[in-house]
Amino acid sequence: MNTDIRSLQLLERDLEDVATRERERLVSVDRALDGGHGGPRRLPRRGRGGGHAWGGIAAALVAVLVLAGGIGFLAQGGSSDDSGGGESRAAIDVDSGADGGGAGAGTGGSESGPQATMAPAPAEAPAGDASYLSDEALGNLSESERAAFVGWSLEAGRNAGAPGVAQGVGAVPKQQGDLTKIIRDGRIGIVIADGSFSKGVAGVTQIARRNGGFVLESSSRDERSGALTLRVPAKNFDDTMLALRALSGQLDGEVEFQDITGQDVTAEFIDLQARLDILKDRRELLLDIQADATSTSEILRLAALIDDVQLQIENIQGRLNFLKDQVAEATIKVEVRERDVQREDPGSDPENPSLADSFELAVQGFLRIIGAVVVGLGYLIPLGVIALIGWGVVRLVRRRDRGAN
Amino acid sequence: MPEERTDTELLIASRTEPEAFTELYRRHAEDLLRYFARRTLDPETAAELTAETFAEAFASRASYRDQGVNGVAWLYGIARHRLGRFFRNGKVDAAARRKLGMPERDLPPEDYERIEDLIDFAPIREALAEALETLSPDQREAMRLRVIDGLGYAEVAERLACTEQNARQRVSRGLRKIALLLQERGMQLTTEVEA
Repeated sequence: MNTDIRSLQLLERDLEDVATRERERLVSVDRALDGGHGGPRRLPRRGRGGGHAWGGIAAALVAVLVLAGGIGFLAQGGSSDDSGGGESRAAIDVDSGADGGGAGAGTGGSESGPQATMAPAPAEAPAGDASYLSDEALGNLSESERAAFVGWSLEAGRNAGAPGVAQGVGAVPKQQGDLTKIIRDGRIGIVIADGSFSKGVAGVTQIARRNGGFVLESSSRDERSGALTLRVPAKNFDDTMLALRALSGQLDGEVEFQDITGQDVTAEFIDLQARLDILKDRRELLLDIQADATSTSEILRLAALIDDVQLQIENIQGRLNFLKDQVAEATIKVEVRERDVQREDPGSDPENPSLADSFELAVQGFLRIIGAVVVGLGYLIPLGVIALIGWGVVRLVRRRDRGAN
Repeated sequence: MPEERTDTELLIASRTEPEAFTELYRRHAEDLLRYFARRTLDPETAAELTAETFAEAFASRASYRDQGVNGVAWLYGIARHRLGRFFRNGKVDAAARRKLGMPERDLPPEDYERIEDLIDFAPIREALAEALETLSPDQREAMRLRVIDGLGYAEVAERLACTEQNARQRVSRGLRKIALLLQERGMQLTTEVEA
C-alpha cells in the first residue's frame, strides 16, 4: 500500500487477516458441501448471506401463508362445512349409529343447513304412531333402529309451521298452509342373505308401489347385486325408507349405509313465481298495446317483444314445473347385494372411500386450503399495506430528524 | 497484463474471493481517511471511523447489488452513515470490528501530524478561533499552538511543559469537541467535494 500512515497500514493487515479467515471458512463450507471428497475447490454459488436471505424470505412467505390460511379458516366459520345454502344431509352409520339409539345417532358427523333441520329423537320415541309410520315398517324394526332412523330423518318437509323448524317425532304431519318446497333424496344400501337377491328386488319394487311410487330404473349384476332408483311421493319418503330398512331384516340382512339429503328450493320457487306473475302482466299489457296499434311496423315490433316475454314465461314455467315435480316426488336410490358379493362401488360409501374418491377428497381439501389462504390474504394484504405506510412514515420522520441534526 | 478490475467488480468478487476486498481498501483507504479527517478535524476519530467503515463494508459486502450504484459510492454511503452516527452520539461505534474479530487500535503517535496534514484548516481557521473559547484552558492553548501557530508537537509539548503524547491528546480532544460544536451549528467542515 502506497501510504506512510501507520494506522492505515495496520488496518490493511487486520483486513488481510479477516480476509484469510473468511477464505478458510469458505473453503471449509465447500468441503462440507462436497461431502469431504477433495477435488478442485468450488466457489460458493452465493454470497455469504445470500442463502440465509433466501431461506429467511421462504420462511417468511410460509409463515404469511400459514397465517393467511388460519385467518381464512377462521373467517370461513372455522369449519369445513361445504353444504349448500338450502341443502341438508344426514347419513347413518348403521353398524355403530343404530344401536346407539336416538341420542347416539345425533353425535355422528351431521351437517345441517339453514332451512332443513333434523330432529333429534327422544330416547323413548313413540313406537306405534300409526299416522306417521306404517305398522309393517315399524314392526320389522328394533327399538334402537326405530329411534336412530327417526332421529336422523329430515323433518322440514313435514313441518306445517315455519320452514325448517323441526317437529317432534310424534307430531302429526300437516300439509295445509305449508309453503316450504324441499326436494328430498335418499340412498340406502342393503346387504341380504345369499340367494335372496330376487326376493330383495321384488320387495323393493313392492315397497315403491305400496307407497304410491314406482321404479324409475334398475340394473343388476349376476342376479346377485343391483341398484334401483325409486320415485315416491314426498309425503311417503320416510315410510318408504323405513320399509326398505325393514326389508333387509326380513331377508336376514342388514342396512349397509343410508344417506338422506334435503334441498330447500323455497326461495327459488317464490322468486320464479314472482317473476312469472310479472312477465304475465307484461304480456297482457303488450297484447293490449298491440291491439290498439295502427302501423305495421309498430305491430311487428310489439310482436317481437311479446315473443320474447312469452319465451321467458315458458322457461320459468318449465323450471317451476320441474321443481314442483322434484318436490312432489322424492328419489331414493337403493343398492341391494347378497352378502358374499363385494360392493361394485365401495367408494360411494362415505365411511369407506375408494382411491378415486380419496383423490377427489384430497383435491377438494387442497382447494379448500387454497380458498382459506386467499380469504386470509384478503385480510392480511390491507393490514400489510397500512403497516408499510406506517413504517415509511416513521422512516421519513427519522431521516428528517437526521437531516435537521 | 490482466486488465485491472473496477471497484464494483472487486466488491462483487470479494464475496467469493475475500482478498479482493483488500485491493479495494488499498485504493480508497487514504481518501476515506481524509474524508473523515476533514469532517471530524480529529485524527483519532477519523482513523476509527475509517476502520469501522471498512469493517462494516466487508461484513455486509454480500448485500451489495450492482444496480447502478458503483462500489465506491456504496462504500461512501456507509461512511456517511457512520459519520452521522458519530455526530449524533459523539463517539465511534466498534460493532463491525468486534463482529469480525478485528482489534481496536490506538492511533500511533506519528500519525497525528500525518493525518492533520490531510485536514485543510485554512477555510475554517476563523471559525476555529471562535470555537476555541469553548474549550478548557489546556486544550485551548494546545490547539492554538498547534493549529493557529502551526507548531510541531515537540514544540507544543515544550511550551506546555508536558509530554508529546499528552500534547497530541489535548489537541485531538479539542479538535473533536470543536468538530462536534461546528456540526451542531450547521457549519460545513470541508470545502472538498465528496466522492
